[in-house]
Amino acid sequence: MKSVPKLIRRFVGIMLLSSLLLIILNFALLVIYTLNQAPNGSPWITAQEVADALSQNENGYVLGEDTALELQNTDVWAILIDNRTMEVVWQTEKLPETVPMSYTASDIASLTRSYIDGYPTFTGEAENGLVVLGYPKESFWKHMWPSWDYNFIANLPKTVLSVLAINIALIFIIYVIANSKLLKSVKPIVSGIQALSTNEEVHIREKGLLSELAVNINKTSDILQTQSRQLRKRETARANWIAGVSHDIRTPLSMVMGYAGQLENDVQLSEDNREKAAVIVRQSKRMRNLINDLNLASKLEYNMQPLSPERQNLIAVVRQVVVDFINMNMDEKYTIEWQTDEAFTSCTVNADKNLMKRAVSNLIQNSINHNEQGCHIFVRVKLEDNICTVIVSDDGVGATDEQIEKLNNTPHYMVCDEKTTEQRHGLGLLIVKQIVFAHGGNVLVKHSEYGGFEVDLNLPITM
Amino acid sequence: MNFDYLKQKRILLVDDEQELLDMVVSILNEDGFQNIKTAKTVSEAVTVSETYQPEFAILDVMLPDGNGFNLMERLKKAADYPVLFLTARGEDDDKFRGFGLGADDYMVKPFLPKELLFRVNAILRRSYKAENPLVKLRDSEIDFERAEIIKKGEHISLTAKERDILAALYRNAGRIVTIDALCEAAWGDNPFGYENSLMAHIRRIREKIEANPSQPVSLITMKGLGYKLVMEGK
Repeated sequence: MKSVPKLIRRFVGIMLLSSLLLIILNFALLVIYTLNQAPNGSPWITAQEVADALSQNENGYVLGEDTALELQNTDVWAILIDNRTMEVVWQTEKLPETVPMSYTASDIASLTRSYIDGYPTFTGEAENGLVVLGYPKESFWKHMWPSWDYNFIANLPKTVLSVLAINIALIFIIYVIANSKLLKSVKPIVSGIQALSTNEEVHIREKGLLSELAVNINKTSDILQTQSRQLRKRETARANWIAGVSHDIRTPLSMVMGYAGQLENDVQLSEDNREKAAVIVRQSKRMRNLINDLNLASKLEYNMQPLSPERQNLIAVVRQVVVDFINMNMDEKYTIEWQTDEAFTSCTVNADKNLMKRAVSNLIQNSINHNEQGCHIFVRVKLEDNICTVIVSDDGVGATDEQIEKLNNTPHYMVCDEKTTEQRHGLGLLIVKQIVFAHGGNVLVKHSEYGGFEVDLNLPITM
Repeated sequence: MNFDYLKQKRILLVDDEQELLDMVVSILNEDGFQNIKTAKTVSEAVTVSETYQPEFAILDVMLPDGNGFNLMERLKKAADYPVLFLTARGEDDDKFRGFGLGADDYMVKPFLPKELLFRVNAILRRSYKAENPLVKLRDSEIDFERAEIIKKGEHISLTAKERDILAALYRNAGRIVTIDALCEAAWGDNPFGYENSLMAHIRRIREKIEANPSQPVSLITMKGLGYKLVMEGK
């Protein structure tokens, strides 16, 4: 369950990033807007410029032409109040009539702070008096009343940052609360889907934000379970059927084999008849092997063969199989040569001894079955890179490249129901593969260096 | 070695198929066994064994009124004698169950007469040893009872390990016994790494049983695989 914490991290990351971006964007917009305001936003500076541009000659006061033009264009009037007389000693041409021509100290204070008859006024200090600019009505909003505690302004950066932090924290908390519910309902769904993929039975509580999803997952699980139950049932039935048939054939075949075996050795019979009995014995043996193989193969295929793995010396297991074959007094046409290095005495694998013996003896039996004219069989165990390999090879007729390719890569007809029209081969090698796969190993079929057939069983060793 | 005394053993044969009983009886008769009684059910087997007192039983696992494992338990309560199971069920768990309860061997149908006879004789040889079990080899005799070799009238004693190894070879006389099986016979269940010790013991056994230990005729080496004990007349 690594995906839910990952999901949370992703969500939180996106959220923090988006709030940060939002703040930066806001700040940028504010800066751009304020900068756009700046050119006509400083009447105080204009007032001071007018005051500086005002010069005195014999005829009185004269305003510089540029400045006069600018005032005219922006529809602004100006007066100069003399410091000593408190009378207007200079004025622009278009002065509204309502503007008084003499002022008291309190008038000055008032016009500095606010308006003269609704005209927003701004002052600039001239040499002998005060320049007052009057802007058109409702062009500026003057607000001179508020004043701030010094510490408030001094701490402003800190305050802004704290407010920012509090904002972010608040957004975060809201977010977590809002999402925890979602996450809570996502979590069981995630684990449910994960369990589905391993074919476990899933039942999620069908409540919360994503209840619809949960219902669907439960339904899917039910369908999967039903399907796999049915499949298992059918597989079990098939395996049981095979087991039943092979069981029922055993007793009648015992009689065939037993009497034929007796007749084969009956000295009173003619050579010809004894040979006929020998054929019956040989063929019954084939039937017996087939029954055994069929039963084991179907059980291995449907995982009904219990594996009892123990630490085994693979060399000892293989050696026992070889000796069993030699002790069986095989036909002289066949010889088995033990090629394992004598210094190599132990190779421990975790394996089911009986099944492993079965695999190796199937290989030796295969060499015998496919080489009626006789052959030498070579058996060897070797160890390379922690892989223990059992090699069974012969110098018999071998197989074509195409056949070998097929044996290595094409599924057996028992495990694959396609291409059932193709010629069927025995179960011997299928069982070998099933056994070795069940032990975590693999099987390789190839040409033998002696000219015949070779099969390598690779098994991981146990430390 | 003469095993004729084994042919006199009383054998009880239990199977629900009359034709199979007839066949097994004929196989055993042909090999020289004289005393054979048959039964087709558990109850019949119990009744027969009360008066007959068998010394060896061959039992089917599936019987009409019970199973062979329970029958064996009941039979063995009265007297302990070897039992061979003969069955159409080849599953491993049955096999283990049979051995766990004290069965001596287990054969899955179908079988050849010689396979059956080999097992029957092997079990009987193992269970009923001759009064004087002197084993004749080419150049000497083995007396397992006293754990000694008699060579040219001289008595040479065997160590416990040498006796165990020879006994394992003798049980499978004429057949190869693997190095691993011999190590297990001498050193028990975890016989790894005793190969060199085994070779040393084999050398010493040869010195005791062979006329010319460097050219053995009774205890033969099968290179890489194991050893074989060759008996006189086999």
